[in-house]
Amino acid sequence: MQAYITASGIISPQKTFMDTGFPDTMTEGISNRLTCIEPDYHGIINPVQLRRMPRILKMGLASARLCINRSAGKSPDAIIVGTGLGCLENLEKFLKEIIGNEEHITSVLPFINSTHNAVAAQIAMMLHNHGYNVTYCHRGMSFESALDDALLHLEEKTAQNVLIGGIDECTDDFMQIHGYLNYWKSPLNNLSLRHDKSPGTIAGEGSAFFMLSGESSLQGQPVLEGVHTFLTPGGKVTSEDIIQEINSFLFSHGTEKKEISLILAGINGDSYYDGVYYDLAHGYFDPAAGMAMYKHLCGEYYTSTSFALWLGSLILSGQNIPDEVVIKRPAGKKMDKLLIYNHSRNCEHSLILLSHGKI
Amino acid sequence: MHKRVFVTGVGIITAIGNGTGQTLDSLKKKTSGIGRLTLFRSIRSDIPVAEIPLSLDQLSEIAEADPGSGPVTRNTLLSLIATRQAMLSSNWDITSPLRSGIILATTVGGMDFNERYYGSLLTDDTHKDVITLLDSADCTEKIAEYAGIRHHVTTISTACSSSANAIMLGSRLIRNNRLERVLVGGTDSLTRFTLNGFFALEILSPTGCRPFDRNRNGLTIGEGAAVLVLESESVADPSAILCEITGYANANEAYHATASSADGSGAFLAMKEALSTAFLKPADIGYINAHGTGTEINDLSEGRAIEKLFGNDIPPVSSTKAFTGHTLGAAGAVEAVISVLSLRHQMLIPGINFVTPMEELHFLPVPEATPCRLNHVMSNSFGFGGNNTTLIFSRS
Repeated sequence: MQAYITASGIISPQKTFMDTGFPDTMTEGISNRLTCIEPDYHGIINPVQLRRMPRILKMGLASARLCINRSAGKSPDAIIVGTGLGCLENLEKFLKEIIGNEEHITSVLPFINSTHNAVAAQIAMMLHNHGYNVTYCHRGMSFESALDDALLHLEEKTAQNVLIGGIDECTDDFMQIHGYLNYWKSPLNNLSLRHDKSPGTIAGEGSAFFMLSGESSLQGQPVLEGVHTFLTPGGKVTSEDIIQEINSFLFSHGTEKKEISLILAGINGDSYYDGVYYDLAHGYFDPAAGMAMYKHLCGEYYTSTSFALWLGSLILSGQNIPDEVVIKRPAGKKMDKLLIYNHSRNCEHSLILLSHGKI
Repeated sequence: MHKRVFVTGVGIITAIGNGTGQTLDSLKKKTSGIGRLTLFRSIRSDIPVAEIPLSLDQLSEIAEADPGSGPVTRNTLLSLIATRQAMLSSNWDITSPLRSGIILATTVGGMDFNERYYGSLLTDDTHKDVITLLDSADCTEKIAEYAGIRHHVTTISTACSSSANAIMLGSRLIRNNRLERVLVGGTDSLTRFTLNGFFALEILSPTGCRPFDRNRNGLTIGEGAAVLVLESESVADPSAILCEITGYANANEAYHATASSADGSGAFLAMKEALSTAFLKPADIGYINAHGTGTEINDLSEGRAIEKLFGNDIPPVSSTKAFTGHTLGAAGAVEAVISVLSLRHQMLIPGINFVTPMEELHFLPVPEATPCRLNHVMSNSFGFGGNNTTLIFSRS
């Protein structure tokens, strides 16, 4: 089953919210953490709710609302959200009241807002939407699970339009605790991420929503051909394993590897984990295929492939790869198919195949 | 061509027992698992809970977890115990080339370790070995590794309907021939986080929950795990088939973050759509295992939705939460397993702690374990955020 990506709404560490295209200038800074550039929420979210609303909910509701508006206000038949860590900030807040304040709770709001399904549920409330509503929370496969479920709905014909989103927030505690596991680099310019040869990466966050439709009347809309995930416990995986997975995924979608014009890779500058991507580019994909990266723009987070889907859709529909993301330009002029390949610390791997659609 | 979805194995551990034998025995004898909190220290220890009175070490022993593999959360151990039972009862072969998946559900994930180590983690890295165990996916990945599954691995978290949604997704994947077999279920351990959260919401019962009673005074938190093996008709061993999943639906009430509407519109929608996917009429349902948390709002809202859908012909209804407590993310799977037991043993499951009928409703919960000819059983799971899911299990 294919799906047309008919609209999107995205909040990211780049200026992606207002315009539908790729931003003119990139946001850069010396840090090991990229934070979202949030819009003015007034006029997007009910002001009464806005006052006490956690940041992740604001980002989720605003980007979902924007996506709906760009779909001519059409309410979806299903709402499916992927979030690796859910409403982390509120979970931490409530947890700290319990362990630090000996269970003397000052407010129940952080508990209510800590549930992983809060974003999807609040979107349903905002839209008065009674359709299918599910939240996936599985690390680097969360957004992919949402995509897969959406494709299944379109195949089952239980939905014609599905709103899907990938959302995660970064917190100070998360930075500190995961720092013990050497997840982060020393502060550096995010745009230089690719050239840094040290271990670790930079943290990120974002909220990206898309409308997937079984049909489209518009020309040139990007098409989601399929999604595939696989697990390699303990990071025990060889290039051959990955190649086998890619081969069978492409085969099941009637695609030959030489049709892939561009690989959008989850390269995150971590010298310990990036080798996998370069090995594939050099030893597996067609020499004419190009390669691009995206995590220097959004940082590393579990649902970063939602940022990649936004970027990949723009590249295909505009037939243009922004200089800022290029590692290697494809040899051919026209780009028909694009493959997003990402892995989280070599454990959760995902493949997302996009095509250019009807012209 | 759609494939029929069969349940070929089940596993369960809750406050009323480890395994289907003990569970059924407690249900028949009307022995509740609700009692005093002993697992951890809490200023809420006067509030009754339905705990599994086994320490991490004891659970570890039952699960035959490898002691050399590092620390393991309570959620993962409970899940492992339920998964092993389910795999055993369906003769799951790890080496089989069948297209297999796993979909588990949780709301607390590794919260027990969070509560124990978070304070220390904010100070130094002494306990850094637990950092990757704190989220909701850790348990699923451990079980996936145990069961030899690498594809179609995911975790659902939709509050109290989480594991019902895991069962629904597993059923859809088999029905549409994406998978041939799948482990589905959920797990949630008792934590100070949820105990205090529900306390702060003022919906915990000070006496132990009394579903559908006029004097009901809130829910009782429980803990547990339940896992089912679902197999496609193309591969299921006929002798292993326990029942069929014929209906499922997920609908959102879009009403309130933590409460259901008084008329139960979300519950009504979920039940109605589940009947329609199963091509069944209301009269075909022989027993409803209700969500029935024992809160004032849920039981009224769900009861009204049942009356609206079933009219004057309401099937026997009970909630088993007065036995197991509300096991949150595990509840959908726990009650799915109880529904399977009800069908297999052709028995209505009683509701307990019930004394006085509700004025607003015209049905009473099943009073005793009663033999009954059952073809179709409905199980409801509703959650925060208006996430409502209904499943239908049918005799095969």
